[in-house]
Amino acid sequence: MEEKFDYAKAVKELEEIAAKVEDPATKLDDIDALVGRSNALLKACREYLRTVKEKIDKLDKE
Amino acid sequence: MKDYLELSELLARVRESVADAFPDRYWVKGEISSWSPRANGHCYMNLSESVKGKQVADVRAMIWKWHFPQLKAFFESETGQTLQAGITVLVRVQVNFDPVYGLSLFVDDIDPAFTVGEQALAKKKAIEKLTAGGYLEMQQELALPALPYRLAVITSKTAAGYGDFRRHLLENEAGYAFHLDLYEALMQGELAPASIIAALADAQEGGYDALLILRGGGSELDLSCFDDFDLAVAIATCPVPVITAIGHDRDFHIADLVANRYVKTPTALADLFLDMYAAEDEVLDDLETRIRHAVADRLGSMSQRVDSLVARIRLGLQARVHAHERVVQEQAAGIRLGLSRKYADLVRQADAAAHRLRFAAGARIGTEISNLALKEALIKASDPRNVLKLGYVLVTGRDNKVLKSVERVSVGDRIGVRFSDGSLTAKVDQVYTENIDKENIA
Repeated sequence: MEEKFDYAKAVKELEEIAAKVEDPATKLDDIDALVGRSNALLKACREYLRTVKEKIDKLDKE
Repeated sequence: MKDYLELSELLARVRESVADAFPDRYWVKGEISSWSPRANGHCYMNLSESVKGKQVADVRAMIWKWHFPQLKAFFESETGQTLQAGITVLVRVQVNFDPVYGLSLFVDDIDPAFTVGEQALAKKKAIEKLTAGGYLEMQQELALPALPYRLAVITSKTAAGYGDFRRHLLENEAGYAFHLDLYEALMQGELAPASIIAALADAQEGGYDALLILRGGGSELDLSCFDDFDLAVAIATCPVPVITAIGHDRDFHIADLVANRYVKTPTALADLFLDMYAAEDEVLDDLETRIRHAVADRLGSMSQRVDSLVARIRLGLQARVHAHERVVQEQAAGIRLGLSRKYADLVRQADAAAHRLRFAAGARIGTEISNLALKEALIKASDPRNVLKLGYVLVTGRDNKVLKSVERVSVGDRIGVRFSDGSLTAKVDQVYTENIDKENIA
């Protein structure tokens, strides 16, 4: 992981994507890209919940 | 005859003896084993004592209606508990023996402090003090992060509960990850509060999302350390959310009251975090479902539109085909009709032609017949023999050919003259060339 993953930001973006996909004004051509992006975000978020984040912890005792 | 006493006499003596033996009122400790306030205002009950679950004493007791309401109100306001069966009380009694009703105790005073206990009273006071000092709200103002990750557990290393908690949290099926550190402290006895306070002070510098005070096992009787005032203040003023899992079903502790939140068991504590993660997972699932459904809806409505277009086109084509078929059928019918009319005309024409032909042929034959008759007549008329009979003669030259002019006739030529009944020869002595008129021929 290059940058520190911003979970809250990713969830916010997912919510925006959901709203866009639900919006009838969104073109069908754009939906493909939105779905692709949402899949990537969902994967990253789910990984985040299951990732041991020891690298950033300087205060480890063990 | 033996000496004997009347029963009443005997029991009267017992009453006297009892009165003599227990002239005062006595403070007595006992558990209320039965409890029945009556409509008449008196309250009847039994006081008993048990040792290791075995009843060793039991006696009837009563509170007269002129004492009962005051005693009850006093006790309940002081203890915060209802006066009822099952609780142990310290009451002041007068011993009474009645020859009919037997032995009973008349209760005329109660000591709430005893029931609640010195500890309980102290606890209540401590809570009042903490409430007044605003300590109860302090931890409530700290927000637990949405996804707590770094956790410090303050407990005794040997506590069974710690192992349960660690296993339950770290070996969760969903695979959520956590960082867990142990801060050892005494969790029982007089030294426990100071030990826990020290651990709290140590852990709150560790950059944790939450500090967990976990008792997890040990005697259920010695929990007074979690009602300690100083510990409560330490928890309340901790800048990191503190969660307690002291695990006592019957009562709460001051430590629970001032903590950010509290649970009963180590497993429940682990579930608290796992549930937060699961809730987050659910948020993700919901978002995914929302997006999927929206896409499916869009595609669905599109394919519906395509379907309806196809249906419309098919319908339109069918209508046109039908219309064409009708036209073709009509035309075919028209043609058939026209043809049959034309055929009839032709037949009629043919009939007429045949008729005419027949008629014409008939006429022609008639004419021909009359022509033939005429020709026959003509032929008959032009027979030279007939002509000769009329007086005409046939003149032949040297070559015996009929002479039709004088041109080739010369003087001296011998010519033949033929009549109808015979012929003669003659000699030409004169030839004249001129137009013959009727007189000269003769």
